[in-house]
This record gives sequence, structure tokens and C-alpha cells, in this order.
Amino acid sequence: MRGASLAEKAISNRWPRRRILDAMLRLSALGWLASVLYPVIRYLKPLPLQGPTGPVRLSQAEVLKIEHDKFAIVPIGRTRVLVFEDPEGELRALDAKCTHEGCTVRYVPGESLIWCPCHNGRFDLTGRVLAGPPPRPLARHTAIRDDAGSITVSVAIA
Amino acid sequence: MSSGRATRSLFDWLDARYSISPLIQFVREKEVPLGEHSMAWYFLGGATLFFFTIQIVSGVLLLMYYQPGEATSYESIRYITTQVPFGWLVRSAHCWSAHLMIASLVVHMFSTMMLKAYRPPRELTWVTGFVLFSLALGFGFSGYLLPWNELAFFATAVGTDSVKSVPLLGNWLLQVLRGGPDVTINTLYRFFALHVCILPILTVGLISVHLIFIQRQGMAPPRGERKAPRGMKFFPSFVLRDALLWLVCVTALGALALLLPYGPGIPGVEWELGHKADPLAPAFPGIKPEWYFLWIYQLLKEFPPHLFGLEGPQLCLLLVTALMTAWALVPWLDRKARRDEPSPAFSDFGVAAIFFLVFLTLKAWDIGGGGGDAQGAQLPDPRAVAWTCAWILLPLAAAVTLLRVAVFRHRWFVFSAAALLHAVLHGFAGLSYLGAGAIAAVLAGLAIGVAVMRERRAAPTMGGGP
Repeated sequence: MRGASLAEKAISNRWPRRRILDAMLRLSALGWLASVLYPVIRYLKPLPLQGPTGPVRLSQAEVLKIEHDKFAIVPIGRTRVLVFEDPEGELRALDAKCTHEGCTVRYVPGESLIWCPCHNGRFDLTGRVLAGPPPRPLARHTAIRDDAGSITVSVAIA
Repeated sequence: MSSGRATRSLFDWLDARYSISPLIQFVREKEVPLGEHSMAWYFLGGATLFFFTIQIVSGVLLLMYYQPGEATSYESIRYITTQVPFGWLVRSAHCWSAHLMIASLVVHMFSTMMLKAYRPPRELTWVTGFVLFSLALGFGFSGYLLPWNELAFFATAVGTDSVKSVPLLGNWLLQVLRGGPDVTINTLYRFFALHVCILPILTVGLISVHLIFIQRQGMAPPRGERKAPRGMKFFPSFVLRDALLWLVCVTALGALALLLPYGPGIPGVEWELGHKADPLAPAFPGIKPEWYFLWIYQLLKEFPPHLFGLEGPQLCLLLVTALMTAWALVPWLDRKARRDEPSPAFSDFGVAAIFFLVFLTLKAWDIGGGGGDAQGAQLPDPRAVAWTCAWILLPLAAAVTLLRVAVFRHRWFVFSAAALLHAVLHGFAGLSYLGAGAIAAVLAGLAIGVAVMRERRAAPTMGGGP
């Protein structure tokens, strides 16, 4: 009996009732905080955007813009695509988002290059970095013109 | 009953209920420490608070007409500036006051740095001030998007894209900040909530804490004296001077808002509405953020695509974070100031920071590089820009250094010399910005090492003979 009471005493010294209650209280406070924060964090993150992922035929206005300005930026699903006509008249499509800081690039027909004015990033017509701070090339997509003059753009899956 | 007796009885009535006598006594006894340095520096915090108050008032007035939305944001701002009586003045005052608030906040922060007012026990006053500075930048950044014009759209695209470099959380942060993978009208809704609700609540709360700290501890006395030898009565002497400065501020603000309603036309200090944001239009040449972000904008340009196995923007963000963290921790890093001893290295660090920021900002304006055209065929020549900016910085730095030597008896110039060497090597010798910076940093490190060794060797002899 005496030995058992000593053991009980030792346990109660190591884990006094107040300490156990304090630990439980802290744990429940953490649980409460997590139960409040989790929905807020999930609420803040937007849902993924829905949009067409397959080939998209450009509108007449977009085709006319390419004819007039030599380039147009078109939304394909959640991607902005730069569609342009190179000096040989070949149709090309590249990601319009600069790989440096996300500005929208433009085609400079006279210079035969793709230019991002925000931090002076320069790319060649295949999307490779020529100069400036962009760390990666622009992603290549596909643009095809059919016999009727319609243009269809497909986004490459990353 | 005379008005004096009525006031007295009202005071007694309030005092009996809320015990305001001790507060009156506190204000009566409160003194502002006077020392060798100019008192002018003590008024900058008050000026910043004044401009913040103008921001709240003009912001509430703008809210009466502003409507966030894809079809309404730009249109409502145009309506305010072209149709609403004095709407242009309210917007102009809001924009000017925002710039003046940041300007006075920057000067306030640097003056605190130079006077070592962050010495114990005022470390947390510095930290709360630093967080308030970050919140002010947040105000500027979030408010920039609200007119939903072209400039705002691209500035936000660039500014928010930087957060993707944050390790682990980058992508999540980017999505949360933008409300999607790209800048859309959802971003504007989030920025609107930030600008008119979240940031004001945080700022008002933190200003209260900052002011409580100052009231509890008093303003920092001159270094070397725990208590200033003499003081100025806070009320009425200091308060009247503060009120006079506020009058000057509001007059200057009114004059600027009237004479230059769309800013002085310098890139980074202009708020012409321009064209409505079009997410499908390419960015236009000459796009620049506001003047207080220009140094980061330029720094982003200076980093190569890859360095040390990291992407340029990642490394740039890492450097900016390290610099900002060091700035926030100055009260703990400056160990001499903690012992109330002179710490010339940290004064010089402050001056070097100014040279560093000025050089980058000048470069961001492409001064001396020639104009670019709309198609990007004639871009400003970066070599010519660096050369011109170094030439502008040199006489400026010489004047500052002469002033420091002659007036403030400064004798420690390692950091500021390194900042100048950086500009010289980059501007005149044609080295890359980062290469020149690395050489200047190594030489400054060596100079500091030598100085520390000499100080350690001299310490035992200074301690006295056997």
C-alpha cells in the first residue's frame, strides 16, 4: 500500500492536476484557433478558374487586329496568348505573360522581337530570352490559320 | 453664471466621473527634451499624422462617389474628377497628401536613425514606426489600383508578382492577393477591402500603440543624457508650434492640389487617369511605379535572370527582405547606442542607405539615357543612364559629406564611401551594378574588419597601464 501511494505521489508530482488541465486548456485553445483560421484561409484562396482548354477560334475582331497591328493578345482559358505574324508572314503564338514579373509583353514588328516594357526584357520570336532580367523563355503555343482566314489557337499544357 | 464658472463646473462634473485631473496634470508637466540637435526633427511625426488625417477625411469623401467594379471603378473616378463639384480637388488633395505623408514619414524615420532615438528603452517605438511605414507603403500600393487604369493595372501586376518568390507560401500568397492567378477585377475588390478597411484599422491601432509608447517614455533625449538638461513645455509651447506646422502643411497641400491637380508630371509622382485598364493590352513603354517603389523597380532590373542557382527576382526579393529586416533590427544591432555611446558606423549606415536609394531612384527615371519610343526601338541607353546618375550623386554626396564633417564632426565614412564607390564603379568604370556592388561590399567589409581589429588592439592600452 505504502509503495503504491509513493508511486501515485511520484506521478502526481510529475503531472499535477493543474498542469494537466493547463495543457488541455492550451490544446483546446489551439484547436479553437485552428477551427477559426482554417475556414478563413480556405475562404481567401480563390476557386480555380474555369475556361476552355482546347483549341479556340479567334473572333473576327481579333483576326482583324492581327492583320492591322501584326499582333493581338487573346484570352484562352486562364492564359493570355500573344498571337502575331512574323516577318515571313508565319503565324506564331507565345505566352503573353513575361516570365520576370508578369507584365504583358508586346510584339515589336520592326525589331522582330517580343518586348516587355516593364523591366526591358527581350525575347526572340520563338520566345527565347535575348536580353534583360526574364529568367525563363515564354511558353510556346500553337496558332493555325485555315484557308478561310480563321485562326485557331491551342494552349500548350504546362 | 459666467462662462468661466460654467466651464469650471463642467470640468468638475467630468472630473468627478472620469478622473481627468491626472491627465491634465500629466500634460502640464510633460516636457520635450532640448539638446544640441535641431528641434525640427521632433515635428515630423506630427506632420505625418496630420497628412494621415487628411487621407482619412479625403478618402471618406471619395468613397461617397467611388464604386468598385469592372464597369464602374474607372468611370466613377472620371465622374469625380470631371463632374462632381470640387471632386478633382478632393482627389488631388488625397493623392498629394499620400505622397507628402510618405515623404514626411521617410524623413521622420531617417531623422530617428541619425539621432539614435531608437536607443533603449525605445526599441519598440522604432519597430512600431517601421511597421507603420510598411503599412503606409501598403496603402500606396493598394490605392494605386483603385482607379483601374492602365498604369495601375501593370504596376499591380508587377508588384503582386514579386510575392511568388516567397518560399513555400509564394503561390498561395499570390492567389490570395490577386483573387486568382492574374490581376483581374477580383484583385481590385481585394485591394479595395485592404485600402478602405483592413489597413486603416491596423494603422489606427498601431498609431495608438506608437503614441502610447511615446507618451509613456517621452521623446528621446539627446544621446549621452538620460534626462535632457532642459526642456520645452509640451503644452502650450510645443503644441502651438505643432499647430503652426499643421497650418503650413495644409496651406502647402492646398496650393499643390490647386496648382498641380494631377501631380508634377514626374514618373512616379503623377495621377493622370489615362486609359482604362485592359487586361488584353500589352504594357506600354515608360511604365513606372510610385517614387517610393522606384528603387525596388530598378533593383529588379539590375538582377540577371539567374544567380547562385536562384532566379533573379527571387534573389532580389531576398536582398530587399534582408535589408528591410536589418533596418527593423537596428536598435538591437547598434550595440554602442545601446550603451549610450557614440555609434558613428550606424549614422554612416543611414547616410549610405540614402545614397543607395537615391542612386537607384535616379536610375529608375532613366536620367541621361535619351527617350524611348512607343515601339521600344530606341530604349534609354543603360550605360549613359548609369554615367549621368553617378555624376548627379557625386556632388550631392560631396556636399552631404562636407556638411557631416564641418557641422556634425562625423569621422566614420566606410558605408557611405562604399555606396559612392559602387556608383563610381558602375557609372564610370562600366561594371555591372551587382559586380560593382560586390566589390564595394568586400572593400567595406575589409575596412570594417581592420577598424575592429585596431579598436580591439587599442582597447587594453586605453584601459590603463599595469
